[in-house]
Amino acid sequence: MGHSDGLSRRRFLSSGAAAAGGVALLGVGGPIALTGCGTSSGSSGNVATTPNAGIGSGTPRRGGSAVLATTSEIDGFYPPANHWDATGFLYANSVFDPLVAVAADGSAQPYLAQSITPNGDYSVWTVKLRPGVTFSDGSPLTSSVLKANFDALKASPLTGVAVRVVEKATIVDPLTVAYTCTGPNVAFPYDLTSQVGYVFGTAMIDAAGGSGPVKPVGTGPFVYSSWQPNDHFTATRNPNYWRAGYPYLDSITFRPIADTTQRESTLETGGVDLIYSADPNTVDHFRSKSGYQLVTNLNDTVGEPDMDFIMLNCAKSPTDDLRIRQALAHGLDASALAKLFGGGIEKPATGLFPPGSPYYSKTTYPAYDQAAARALVREYAAQHGTPSIELGTVTDPRLARIVQAIQNMWQEVGFDVTIKIFDQATFISNAVVGDYQAYTFEMFSAADPDLNYVWWSTTTIAKPGQIGLNFSRNDDPKIEAALLAARAETNRAKRIADYQTVNERLAIDLPYLWLGKTVWSEVGNQRLQNFAGMVLPNGTRAKPFDDGVSFTAQMWLAG
Amino acid sequence: MLVTYLAKRLVQLIAVTFLISVIVFLLVHLLPGDPSVTILGANDTPQNRLILLHQLGLNKPLVAQYATWLGQVLHGSLGQSYLTHQQVSQIIAQGAPVDLELIVLSQIIAFAVAIPLALVASRRSNRPVDRMATTTTFGLLALPPFVLAPILVAIFAVGLGWFPATGTVPISQNLATNLHDMILPAVALSFGSIALYYRLLRSDLIATLQEDFITSARAKGLHPRRVMLRHALRPSTFSLLAAAGVNIGSLLAGAFIVESLFAINGVGLALINAVEQRDYLVVQGIALVVALVYVIIQFIVDFIFTVVDPRVARG
Repeated sequence: MGHSDGLSRRRFLSSGAAAAGGVALLGVGGPIALTGCGTSSGSSGNVATTPNAGIGSGTPRRGGSAVLATTSEIDGFYPPANHWDATGFLYANSVFDPLVAVAADGSAQPYLAQSITPNGDYSVWTVKLRPGVTFSDGSPLTSSVLKANFDALKASPLTGVAVRVVEKATIVDPLTVAYTCTGPNVAFPYDLTSQVGYVFGTAMIDAAGGSGPVKPVGTGPFVYSSWQPNDHFTATRNPNYWRAGYPYLDSITFRPIADTTQRESTLETGGVDLIYSADPNTVDHFRSKSGYQLVTNLNDTVGEPDMDFIMLNCAKSPTDDLRIRQALAHGLDASALAKLFGGGIEKPATGLFPPGSPYYSKTTYPAYDQAAARALVREYAAQHGTPSIELGTVTDPRLARIVQAIQNMWQEVGFDVTIKIFDQATFISNAVVGDYQAYTFEMFSAADPDLNYVWWSTTTIAKPGQIGLNFSRNDDPKIEAALLAARAETNRAKRIADYQTVNERLAIDLPYLWLGKTVWSEVGNQRLQNFAGMVLPNGTRAKPFDDGVSFTAQMWLAG
Repeated sequence: MLVTYLAKRLVQLIAVTFLISVIVFLLVHLLPGDPSVTILGANDTPQNRLILLHQLGLNKPLVAQYATWLGQVLHGSLGQSYLTHQQVSQIIAQGAPVDLELIVLSQIIAFAVAIPLALVASRRSNRPVDRMATTTTFGLLALPPFVLAPILVAIFAVGLGWFPATGTVPISQNLATNLHDMILPAVALSFGSIALYYRLLRSDLIATLQEDFITSARAKGLHPRRVMLRHALRPSTFSLLAAAGVNIGSLLAGAFIVESLFAINGVGLALINAVEQRDYLVVQGIALVVALVYVIIQFIVDFIFTVVDPRVARG
């Protein structure tokens, strides 16, 4: 149902959500694809309503300043301590570099790393750094910096969970570090595309814990200039950037504008060169307008998309009863909701993966069927009385309309439904401790499904009232078995089959009632070029637009 | 008598400020959730939460937390954000000029529109000009900034392209651009004041125009404009100035809303974000400073009234 502040993985992170923080930290992910052993997992053929939207035309020009409007603000630049949402990754792509980046075909490609190589059973990964790279403070990039990064990340209460798949990091030589995982882990390179894979200077470690924000010291295309939270972040060209010839821009400024309409108006009045949006109505608004370049994730099948859904608590009455979850699923008309609130853009979903994804498979997810829903409600009511459902969401006008529509749908099939609106912090707290019945949610974006392990694992279920990252408390050993098998599986077809099993089990267990894939878009004016045309250091095309995140080094301004 | 009156008011001011600080502190801590959810993210385990709450001093009883905070405030420190680690005083210092500018500009616009309109309408009371102006301002009173702002943006920013839809450059960077960018937000904030000031001044002017000294001035053959500006206007502005003083509170609240509607980074936007993120020290610091500013302004207004009209001090 679009974003609208539902609870996006990244928004969740930015607002400090316990679990969503973990998702983002665990990565923007991708499938098994490394130097020399890359495979693709889909296609990021983003919809472009203007020819070559987001791809630079003509000869790149050097100079000028671009202004980009983001959907939110971050709480800082220090990877071990701050929560990076989509905006955090945008900032990070400007002042830091990731060790690994996701290519357009979904494969993981070395970025600041020169190579990343597994041992025979994929339990040890050797990362070799590029030589001659320096941080913005002039210090060199070495294996000891990488080791110090790992130690800081491991010790941090925030990022500790993200690197728990790694037992230790060992310096091999001045430019090489070996990461020993807790077991075979074919998806490890995708961990390095996430927050824990962005390399920061040791000056940041020294500055952490002092008073005031920690200024970023990175190897990125731009250098920190000024940051006034909720107003702007500006970075200027790094004259010593290791990628020769980049960046094109002299400076880049990000302006956080939380409201979608304000962001759109600001672009239309020339206040910014590019906006990001997770509201499908933005696509609807700009797709027929001339003078703009529109890029969306609509046709993106890389990995797993950001999903909008209703999350049900499998450990709390009455949603702990499978018949109730089935009745709620049968009573939910996702197609009607998509038409009403999806700007004519969003498509209803029946599982984790969209058609076209290598992971896609048909599931037994219940179809919209009011008669079946009524029968299940009657059966339950005969034993326990009319089921009452409390449907929770966060303060957002669009979401308020959506939950009202859902309330009507469920009441039509016999439920007694009340709506409860929460502020973001309370909403997240309740989800983490399992104090809810049905919540609107948005999360799961990952280039590799393994990065979502903590949300579905039986090992992260907690009793109601206790903190558990498996928010829905869905206790399915078959899901756990498939997740563990996939993590260690090197055969691509078998690994895909494992995740299809997960998808099918979710369709049977019904902890999530799918609404649709979150529609992310970026809209640029005609002046800003190549905001979705990044080429990685090894010459492959980067995933152009990943749920509100793009690279900035190769953007340029037309004359 | 004046000194005694002002001393009493000063004591009241201190008491009110203290009371506000207690109320704000309690209200903030009554909010469900705590900053640990925001700060810890995925590792919000009971152990980590305990460690963090201890580090932040949030594990202590509320009275102890309040005493610590008040002690720091009295020593001139409002603390720092749990999240961004910015000093609260810095956040306020960055945002306050924006609010101040917004309020000052809105009041300039309000006076510039309301006074001439009231002069014209009162001279021709109950005639078409007066009725039209009175009806229009009545409509303005019913248009809060959150309704008005999107309309102004749609017409003058997106439609005509005369102004930006959001944001502004700092005064220090470019004064002309800053003033240009602030016009729409200031207009949005000024409408309520225009209506209020117009209606007060109009009715006072109509009453003044019935006075004998005005009849005398007219009998002397003075030009009507001179009668209005030199004789009628000044004695009619007492209510207007009193209203302007009292209006400061609602202007501050209005400025916070307008900031949000135009994505201008003032104190209001910082406060809203801090509440959402349970950034206690930022919320407490901003609320305290805003309350303090408000009571000081009221104190100054009272002082001016006391000087202008000694009957106020006599009670």
